[in-house]
Amino acid sequence: MSNSMISIKGIADGVYINVEGNDYNKIKESLEMKINENIEFFKGSKLIDVVGEELTLDIKTEIMLLLKYKYDFVLKNEYMILDREIEKEDLIKNNKIPNIVEEGMTKFVHGTLRSGQEVSYNGNIVVIGDVNPGAVLRAKGNIIVLGLLRGVAHAGIGGNKNAIVAAYSLLPTQLRIDDIIVRPPEGDSYYKYPEIARIIEDKVIIEPYLPNK
Amino acid sequence: MENEKKGTSIVVTSGKGGVGKTTTSANIGTGLAMLGYSVVVLDADIGLRNLDVVMGLENRIVYDIVDVVEKNCKLKQALIKDKRHENLYLLPAAQTKDKTAVSSSQMVELVNELKENYDYIIIDSPAGIEQGFQYSIAGADEAIIVTTPEVSAVRDADRVIGILEANEIYQPKLIVNRIRQDMVKRGDMMNIEDILDILAVKLLGVVPDDENVVISTNRGEPVIMDEKALSGKAYRNIVRRIIGEEVDFLNLENTNQGKLSKMMKILFGR
Repeated sequence: MSNSMISIKGIADGVYINVEGNDYNKIKESLEMKINENIEFFKGSKLIDVVGEELTLDIKTEIMLLLKYKYDFVLKNEYMILDREIEKEDLIKNNKIPNIVEEGMTKFVHGTLRSGQEVSYNGNIVVIGDVNPGAVLRAKGNIIVLGLLRGVAHAGIGGNKNAIVAAYSLLPTQLRIDDIIVRPPEGDSYYKYPEIARIIEDKVIIEPYLPNK
Repeated sequence: MENEKKGTSIVVTSGKGGVGKTTTSANIGTGLAMLGYSVVVLDADIGLRNLDVVMGLENRIVYDIVDVVEKNCKLKQALIKDKRHENLYLLPAAQTKDKTAVSSSQMVELVNELKENYDYIIIDSPAGIEQGFQYSIAGADEAIIVTTPEVSAVRDADRVIGILEANEIYQPKLIVNRIRQDMVKRGDMMNIEDILDILAVKLLGVVPDDENVVISTNRGEPVIMDEKALSGKAYRNIVRRIIGEEVDFLNLENTNQGKLSKMMKILFGR
């Protein structure tokens, strides 16, 4: 049973490790079991990346460190575990990137979502098209719409207050980030520029995402 | 299999009720027949049949679609020939049954049989998105969406377009029914651009709100036969677009204005 949490995929350059769940101890247990089944084969393997829908950066780093020091894995990008945290902190401090959710897994939706259609995903959702009224998007992470967002968008489901919703035209019926629900003010306000919605001090703030516009 | 088929089946649907599906089906069917095509209009609204009334054929019904599906009669026996057009037939719905009387696979079989003998099969779908709608679209090659310039009707149309796509009927065409140009001008009614902006489908035609439609419907004579009515002209243009002609969209500017402007139009040629 526990083995199903882990899958190891080998390609020419090395191996990917796909992880399910977000409980480090369980992941560690089943990962070590899997490696010990074939210890000679894995020793010194080249690790390309660790991926997983619910994987946090902390767990990812832990897994990488475990593999590096206990099983002699060679990490393809050493900086992944060493510099990443620092790099991220720096960028946020210097305001170079908005304080958004760590990238993670992303679902791409091609075409227009119509009334009654719903997309739910344990990660980010990117819609290449419009989201019409009556359509619903639910994401654990961010929601990006390359078009008009007129339906309901719920980002950051399950406590992710850093999640954002952005669209070329942000005109949602209702917008939710984590457990905060807002609706647009009465009256038609149609902005011709792209906007981004995020939580700042427990309020959803909507602003242009190109500061110069 | 695909090559044997001769005709094209088109479902007329909307999601919302009362937007003019049946009127549109009757007019398109009649219009195609007027151009010389052999046409069957199929009333799929079992239990709430109307198409026979709109076409003035109610008193000729002997067998209906359920009789055909249950093999109580031959398909040919159930088809009612139109009063005015040789090559136009109605396959009426049953009034005493309900939507469970026909399944999607029976419908596909029936429509395929019709396609072998007729150029166009126009399927008048019931309102809603339940079983009646599901079997109506099952046999359709193409779809025509009817909507009115109301937010609720457009919303339902959007829903239906999504379901059609899920059932592999792509690129439905849109008819906007009952538009009132004077209200659009005042900003009190959605305009065509607003509607197309949301639905993002190809526009097949715009039919003005016209009392002639009510008159002709009650008389059982589709308005498309009325040479003078603007709505009749709109339907004739729609039919020409269905057979692939390029036709300019009607100028609806003067529909609800006074006699004076109509006079001016006649005198000075618009």
